[in-house]
Amino acid sequence: MTTSIYTPEMARLVKVETLTALEKLFTIELPGGRSLGHSPGQFVMLSLLGIGEAPISITSSPSRSNGIFELCVRRVGDVTNALHNMQPGDMVGIRGPFGRGFPIEKMRGKDVLFAPGGLGLAPLRSLINQVLDERGSFGRVIILYGARRPQELLFRNELEEWIARPDVECLVTVDRGDETWTGNVGVITTLFPKITINPRNTVAVTCGPPIMYRFVLMEMLSKGIPETQIYLSLERRMKCGVGKCGHCQINHLYCCQDGPVFTYTQIKNVEEAL
Amino acid sequence: MKLMILDKSALAPMVNALRADYRVVGPQARGPQFAFDVITDPAQLRLDYNTTILPPKKVLQPQYERLLSFNRREYQVTPIIEATPTVLVGVHTCDLHAFLLLDQAFSREYPDAHYLERRRQTVIISLECLEPCDEYSFCRSMGTLTSDTGYDLHLTDLGTAYAVHVATETGRQILSRYATVREATEADVRQLNEVLSAKWPRFTYRLDFDAAELPALLGAAYDHPLWEELGERCLACGSCTNVCPTCYCFNVFDEVDMQLVAGERWRCWDSCQLDEFARVAGGENFRKARSARQRHRFMRKGKYLYEKFGELGCVGCGRCIRACVAKISILEGFNAIHQSA
Amino acid sequence: MTSNGKPKVAFFDFACCEGCQLTVVDSLQTHLDLLEAVEIVQFREAISDRGEDYQIAFIEGSCTRQADEERLRKIRAQASVVVALGACAHTACVNALKNLHPLEDVRRWVYGDQAEWYDTYEARPISAVIEVDAIIPGCPIDREEFIRVVKALLLGKKPPLPDYPVCVECKLKENVCMFHIGKFCMGPVTRAGCGAICPTYGDGCEGCRGFIPAPNENAMKDVLADAGLTVEAIMARFTMFNTYLVSARKADGEERR
Repeated sequence: MTTSIYTPEMARLVKVETLTALEKLFTIELPGGRSLGHSPGQFVMLSLLGIGEAPISITSSPSRSNGIFELCVRRVGDVTNALHNMQPGDMVGIRGPFGRGFPIEKMRGKDVLFAPGGLGLAPLRSLINQVLDERGSFGRVIILYGARRPQELLFRNELEEWIARPDVECLVTVDRGDETWTGNVGVITTLFPKITINPRNTVAVTCGPPIMYRFVLMEMLSKGIPETQIYLSLERRMKCGVGKCGHCQINHLYCCQDGPVFTYTQIKNVEEAL
Repeated sequence: MKLMILDKSALAPMVNALRADYRVVGPQARGPQFAFDVITDPAQLRLDYNTTILPPKKVLQPQYERLLSFNRREYQVTPIIEATPTVLVGVHTCDLHAFLLLDQAFSREYPDAHYLERRRQTVIISLECLEPCDEYSFCRSMGTLTSDTGYDLHLTDLGTAYAVHVATETGRQILSRYATVREATEADVRQLNEVLSAKWPRFTYRLDFDAAELPALLGAAYDHPLWEELGERCLACGSCTNVCPTCYCFNVFDEVDMQLVAGERWRCWDSCQLDEFARVAGGENFRKARSARQRHRFMRKGKYLYEKFGELGCVGCGRCIRACVAKISILEGFNAIHQSA
Repeated sequence: MTSNGKPKVAFFDFACCEGCQLTVVDSLQTHLDLLEAVEIVQFREAISDRGEDYQIAFIEGSCTRQADEERLRKIRAQASVVVALGACAHTACVNALKNLHPLEDVRRWVYGDQAEWYDTYEARPISAVIEVDAIIPGCPIDREEFIRVVKALLLGKKPPLPDYPVCVECKLKENVCMFHIGKFCMGPVTRAGCGAICPTYGDGCEGCRGFIPAPNENAMKDVLADAGLTVEAIMARFTMFNTYLVSARKADGEERR
């Protein structure tokens, strides 16, 4: 039989959890319990037959794969809307994993600063949990997480675990609080003055809505973190995931192949990146 | 490379013979213009065509094609490779150069079986241009006025006959099975050389500089005022990219039957000039301004594709200039950037 | 839903020629299976029933009177999905040409000495009165597009509405450009989805499907002027089907490069 890079493999939804009003966590099992074989920061093309295909970052870490992987998906378009209506047992199409993830080897022995905003926690969670599962290989682990409102915070159980762990420094903030919220209020950049770091030994990682990058990058740079040690994960429209369809191009870079993870050095002079 | 002689009177019988075993596609009249289309009668074949509205790229990457079929009830997916044994006749050398770039785009890293299978099943009979096709082409500047690769057979018009360069074993077999030809004599070779030498002065260099400088020139022109000016005039209709022989961007969409059970996944040509091209589901548009989209086109043609594949993305065919109702010219754009550098 | 799970569908008309509903009837000839997928409970042009328990409402026609507003709101209150069927509902189409003239004059021209009996006002698309969930543009609609929209609604997908211009479909069909044979065409600023039907049959696009979201109006005017049209003729092309949109864009002052 002929094969095609555009043919998805059908995989089973084994668990669907509601995280917020807009986001759900989907646990997916490939045929035969085969491992997806991804690295943190990579994505899959998620296919719903008759609806379409969309790139989704993988939120589970390879260290916890065990024959399954997880996607944290916001209800925002046709594919994701339809996915939100699906139940365990339903099948979805998967192609991938694709793209260049985070270079975890370069992070070993270093302090790691994570600064995700909103849904940006989804791809970073893959790396965070990988790092935590190999905790001894890394220096300090600092997580600064911001969301717009308390009810939009993702993975609240895990956030609480991270906050409770003595070997993780985790600060959480919301742009606007409510009566239940007793934590930090303010945009994510207000968390940076609360931490001190050894910049030359720190690797920083961020992902979030387009508007957030500039401000978070400014904070990272002003703390003295070298440009080559700052990593970002970018979102773009994709129709193939394999460097053909052209939709994800950022100047000369292909988000699907050269990214979605880039160093700040790679994209700082690339106007279309941020 | 072997040289054979095909008498012009032997062309129609050859086309007819080929039609028994192949889909034969060649240039035909379409109104006052020309288009590559399936030949059902040898009289339709117009090797005297100037240029076509769409490039012959459409034979290798059709405007619309099915990628797979599916059944939603059974969660079944079956790839579809749409390929038919085809003889593509009359390809100009600019378009041949474009094929070389498409071959790279679709074979590198993740090979695209849909394109590559069609490519494998396509026999290419190209045609040497002896006259400029029209006022818009600048093939000589782009180094595409001739080619010694990319074809199975290559025709040069010698008046009453075609000189046929046999470049591949497939080409040799096509000639021996389907055509009446004779070996070229010394006189034929002499005539061919005369024809080939005489053609060059008819083509003028239209680029004011060496095309090899293009990537560097564009690299320094990211903030050039030209982009704003083009953004004012551009209608963002996508015609420039749709007629381009080296544009290969595509969109993908699903079609289902009325029962919502069976369906197909399609791909179709897409254009970076269209408003929605770089828009994500959340609404953010990463290339919103028409000026930025025109810049992206120029950069892709003159810089990005070169950096990726080692071939310039512009072959100088002139189709985009001809197709633009707002009279945006990539040639004038390149020259303007050179002048101000 | 009916007991058999089919969504109930109703068709309504306001100021229009009913040509779009005729196209719907026509599409049933080639897509008989459509009737297996939905149940039509109200469709004046095709059946005598008048069921009021519909979920999907297709509305043809423009709002041209006070009484229309009330009726539109009633349909909106009942339907979970409202679809603007055709140009009159989508853009007010040629009905809006009258908006270019004082209303009293228009009434007198049409109704003569009975003008006072008619309370018509400026023609508007139905979206000016109620929220619209989907649009099927065109004068008349394209029957294949109608089928695509119905399928999308049944699938729970956002109904497809191309944001790109007619030129895209025209080029992909490899038509000779109208401007190359001395004809005038609104294709570069008009929303695709019709398969470039007019240029395919040799006539320039008249813009019946409304503008793309960010049309370069000035550049289009330049192109038409270069092709030999006077300012008046250019305005006539813009306002033929799109008087309402031209006025709305002018009011917005929205211009994007």
